[in-house]
Amino acid sequence: MSERKTERLVISPDAVAQVAACLQRLMADSNASLSMVIDRAGRVIAAESREQRSGLADLGVLIAAAYASLQEIARLLKEESFQTVLHEGLRERIVTETVSTHWLLVVLFDEQVQVGLIRVLVKRTASTLAAILDLQKQRAPRVARPRQKQSRRAAQDTIDLIFGKEPQGPDNHPS
Amino acid sequence: MALINVAAREIHGKIVYYGPGLSGKTTNLQYIHARIPAHSKGELLSIATEAERTLFFDFLPLDVGKVHGFTIRFHLYTVPGQVLYERTRVAVLNGADGVVFVADAKRDRLAENLQSLRELGQNLTAQGKKFLEFPLVLQYNKMDLPDALPTPVLDRYLNPMRVPRFEAIAIQGVGVFETLRAITKLVVNRL
Repeated sequence: MSERKTERLVISPDAVAQVAACLQRLMADSNASLSMVIDRAGRVIAAESREQRSGLADLGVLIAAAYASLQEIARLLKEESFQTVLHEGLRERIVTETVSTHWLLVVLFDEQVQVGLIRVLVKRTASTLAAILDLQKQRAPRVARPRQKQSRRAAQDTIDLIFGKEPQGPDNHPS
Repeated sequence: MALINVAAREIHGKIVYYGPGLSGKTTNLQYIHARIPAHSKGELLSIATEAERTLFFDFLPLDVGKVHGFTIRFHLYTVPGQVLYERTRVAVLNGADGVVFVADAKRDRLAENLQSLRELGQNLTAQGKKFLEFPLVLQYNKMDLPDALPTPVLDRYLNPMRVPRFEAIAIQGVGVFETLRAITKLVVNRL
């Protein structure tokens, strides 16, 4: 196999700050409890929450999976896509909005927040986010590959260290 | 597509365990999850049927550690192997940076292995990737069974690409971490 480089996307600190500012404005305008931007694989780019929350990584992955599943349904129905997805529970509601081709905007809110208002604000925010994030795809990576030669070596050593011999798991720790 | 978040100083990679139904993809993730120290892993999420067959995927987040100030994170996924779930496999494979193909070494599963490997090639190609250049590792699982095909035979049918391959008995952990190490190094090497 040849040594081709894998496709990658570098998100600059500047872009993350702009995304965070968008999410903060959305939270202030809507009274939502959580908003976050994830990629289509569910990886969290930025998140804003009214309270400390754990499990955001899992939430991102499951929402991205549900979204991917719905896009396959759209394909079967010969629908172009489902741009907006709404999940309604007794307390929590989740809106997932398509942002450009790579990203999703996820907003959690409760029954006191109007769905219609969220839809409008989410559409507006998604359009701003698309402009910010699409610019990242067009820019050359800020982390130059040559500089990474040392990093790659260090990463490989770390992988050897962790996976080289079977890690000591909870079952085989000395008591 | 690998994602580098400079602000959070994180590098994210996605690895998918692919292969025919009951070849041992979930067993690989379960073994890794049981053995990795708690600070390096998240919860193992499984979206499975009542019969504990994978319906959508299994998911395990792993932190490899910090390298030059960047935390390297891998998200490990499995696909559902049953033929019925072809479109689900496409969805899970999307955005993968590396694939472990888990083959069932049993003699009577060779046709399913070949079909699944062929499908993997087609799906990667449809996603704009070149199969022969894509980070791929093979695992020949269930090598302890009496009707397992010998490695040279499996090589001849499944590995004309000559990618790294490992013999495994995933349920006992044999070959599991060797496979994981190989694919993570391949992915890191190409970032």
